[in-house]
Amino acid sequence: MSTLTLRRRPLVLRRLPGLQGLGGFLLRRMVSAVATLLAITVIVYAVFYIVPGNVAQITCGERCSPAQVHQVAAQLHLDDPVYQRYWDFLRGIVAGRSFSTGTSIEHCAAPCLGLSYRSDQQVTELITAKLPVTGSLALGSLVIYLLLGVGTGLLAAWRRGRVSERLLTGLTLAGTATPVFVIGLLLMIVVCGQLQWLPFPQYVPLTEDPEQWAWNLLLPWTSLALIEAAKYARVTRAAILETLAEDHVRTFRAYGLSERSVLGRHALRGALAPVIALAANDFGSMFGGAVLTETLFGLPGIGQALVSAVNVADLPVVVGMVLVTGFFVVLANLVADVLYAVADRRVVLV
Amino acid sequence: MRHPSRTNARRAAAASVSLALATAAVACAGPKDKDEGAKGTPHKGGTLTILNTEAQTDFDPARLYTSGGGNVPSLVFRTLTTRNRANGAAGSKVVPDLATDLGTPSKNATVWTYTLKKGIKYEDGSPITSADIKYGIERSFAAELSGGAPYLRDWLVGGAGYPGPYKDKKGLDSIETPDARTIVFHLNKPEGEFPFLATQTQFTPVPRSKDDGTKYENHPLSSGPYRVISNENDGEHLVLERNRYWSAANDTQRKSYPDRIDVRSGLDSAVINQRLSASQGTDAAAVTTDTNLGPAELAKISGDKSLAARVGTGHFGYTNYLAFNPKVKPFDNPKVREAIAYAIDRSSVINAVGGTSLAEPATTFLPNQEAFGYTPYDPFPAGKSGNPKKAREVLAEAGYKHGITLTLTHANQDPEAGPEIATAVQDALKKAGITVKLRGLEINQYRDAYKDVKAEPGFFLARWGADWPSGGPFLAPIFDGRQVVKDGANFNHAQLDDPAVNKEIDAINKLTDLNAAAKRWGALDKRISAQALDVPLFHPVYKRLYGKDVKNIVISNWTGVLDVSQVAVK
Repeated sequence: MSTLTLRRRPLVLRRLPGLQGLGGFLLRRMVSAVATLLAITVIVYAVFYIVPGNVAQITCGERCSPAQVHQVAAQLHLDDPVYQRYWDFLRGIVAGRSFSTGTSIEHCAAPCLGLSYRSDQQVTELITAKLPVTGSLALGSLVIYLLLGVGTGLLAAWRRGRVSERLLTGLTLAGTATPVFVIGLLLMIVVCGQLQWLPFPQYVPLTEDPEQWAWNLLLPWTSLALIEAAKYARVTRAAILETLAEDHVRTFRAYGLSERSVLGRHALRGALAPVIALAANDFGSMFGGAVLTETLFGLPGIGQALVSAVNVADLPVVVGMVLVTGFFVVLANLVADVLYAVADRRVVLV
Repeated sequence: MRHPSRTNARRAAAASVSLALATAAVACAGPKDKDEGAKGTPHKGGTLTILNTEAQTDFDPARLYTSGGGNVPSLVFRTLTTRNRANGAAGSKVVPDLATDLGTPSKNATVWTYTLKKGIKYEDGSPITSADIKYGIERSFAAELSGGAPYLRDWLVGGAGYPGPYKDKKGLDSIETPDARTIVFHLNKPEGEFPFLATQTQFTPVPRSKDDGTKYENHPLSSGPYRVISNENDGEHLVLERNRYWSAANDTQRKSYPDRIDVRSGLDSAVINQRLSASQGTDAAAVTTDTNLGPAELAKISGDKSLAARVGTGHFGYTNYLAFNPKVKPFDNPKVREAIAYAIDRSSVINAVGGTSLAEPATTFLPNQEAFGYTPYDPFPAGKSGNPKKAREVLAEAGYKHGITLTLTHANQDPEAGPEIATAVQDALKKAGITVKLRGLEINQYRDAYKDVKAEPGFFLARWGADWPSGGPFLAPIFDGRQVVKDGANFNHAQLDDPAVNKEIDAINKLTDLNAAAKRWGALDKRISAQALDVPLFHPVYKRLYGKDVKNIVISNWTGVLDVSQVAVK
């Protein structure tokens, strides 16, 4: 989805008034982001009409009588035509909606993503409750795998061809090749069970107790980081080696710059652009993609909620969670493109 | 039908996780001290932690589908009657809870009258009245609060069309409350087992003034020994503390030793068992109310005495079986069904689900417990590992001298109805000249298919669990001809509508002597079995770990799992 282009000379396309520079870029991207997110909701709605499973029966329970299932279907507006339901959904985002709790009317303020069929909770509230969990997981692991990955990649480039480099490359490959639930479970068994250095992870909100938040998330972060780091090590190493082979580096060396300076200041800077792009994408997709980690460590995040919502055909929750995931992927792409341009002046935002 | 072990389904998905756990369980699990957890005098105090995979969703007495009032729900919700909190068979008995006795039936058991105990109160100190019990039942009819068992709707006069108190303020005329301590139920037909039904959470009092519809689940008014302090994200994290208005003097069943109950969910089943075996910190005072030990975990744990001592074993009334739909050829031919019954190898099926410690062979449809009226029979004896010779003979009588090819429908991923069992059945039938093709369906698709009379397969894996320990809720939904549902979820797989069977079900329902009824259910089960409408495979056994500080373990045959209302952590 990335729209970055690499050009030798700055070239500004689309010379339309008002759509130039960073402002124009952001505007264009915002329009395309909204379109992407809308397309996602259409797809989710469509898929829900194809997959098996009677939503009203699942929501009501398997022993519910046909009459009761009809009541539940009417209550959840499942009998309305699909376009009507989709329109109500869109309207809710803009204008909010009202729902009956039985005894009173509950207002779901805009942007309202509806109520969960299963729990009757507002989807926006559900997301607000789960976002900090997934955000904590994504952010913490990002820091660790960037440090670990870029560090290893730098070391590998520096020690190229030696035994230590081969060892590092081998280790990072092993990291990528091991599923997170194996690494995670083994870490838990050893660190929490045998050595008893850490408690078995249990999410504690950052606002409640920052120290416990970090201690409890350390293992999930590390497990994710061990898997992700390998990718960054390889990208960093390759990019540095590529930069080292370029003419300007040879010039620097000819000027007598130390190897450390060449590597640390010049080669690393050239390698940063692809690392940033990769990291932003990973960070975005982690909002929906860390399902295994969340499940294994019992972290009540977006991924876990999405999977359980799919299992019980809870359409409003599925749409809401997918939208949030999509939003972060789109946002991360945007950030990546901007950062890419900052890191590498040859890149032009279009 | 209840599924006390639904988290097993998740274990299949994480089989490799369990395996990794099993290899390491023994190495790291040994508790430092040799304290025998289950022994010692129980004392009040402390926090009991409950580690679960599934959230305690819909914590509203109207919405819960429980057997005997549930495990955690029963700490907060008292009901007219409840299950006897005792080990084994004694725990299958129904006893009074809010009511003074098990109810007074009219001569034909269509009218049931209950009197409430004196001095019973809610968590706010206000008195519990019979009108609140009536209202609690009425609100369970609201579409907003769906989820409970179907019996009230079927049994109460006017129940079938009643939309609940939000749409029909007048209420149900079939529930009368002549005074604040008396409640009278008028039923459509005789129901001798009404006291069993009155254990379900729909019989929990709910004051109309406190009802806030779908929001009630966040802070339901407690009538039990604990009240809800917080309920995060629909039961994801539930904290209960003592209800000071509850009195042990008028509740003989709940012990309520711990001061506080902390229910944590969303955990991986392998991690739960790992934490319970490591039993460190707060996990020493932890139990699970939804996670069983798997075969690999059990094998490792049984090698460690101190760990094995912390495994609770239970039997819940549950039967896994092969179901036939005689409307589909060749299953319309009883001889074909009989041949399959002769050919079945129960040993290999039991191995497929984890061995003899996790399942017992079943030849009867009713669970092998006295409360169900268990009457041993084996109309088509297959021995331990099948009788292919006899099966071939019967198959030849059916006109398939040279064998036959059949399709067995099962779920793709489900330890109770998944490919492991299907393959064991396939292997056994092959020896008798029956070639079985396996048709694995995605779990929701599988459930939809076998419950829809129009799409029902001819031959599939099925299971049934007890809503209460009696033959009634076990046999009626499966074999009562009037319970064939044409336009919804049907469980009478054979679509049997036998006037003699229907008549006997009605006759037994008239009995208010539950022991006499049990005998008749057993006899009826035996009689139906002669038609070979199903092949019982096994009754599951539940094994669950608990932390090393947990005392006073009570596992009844009613639930088959550790009762949290009895547990002490000090």
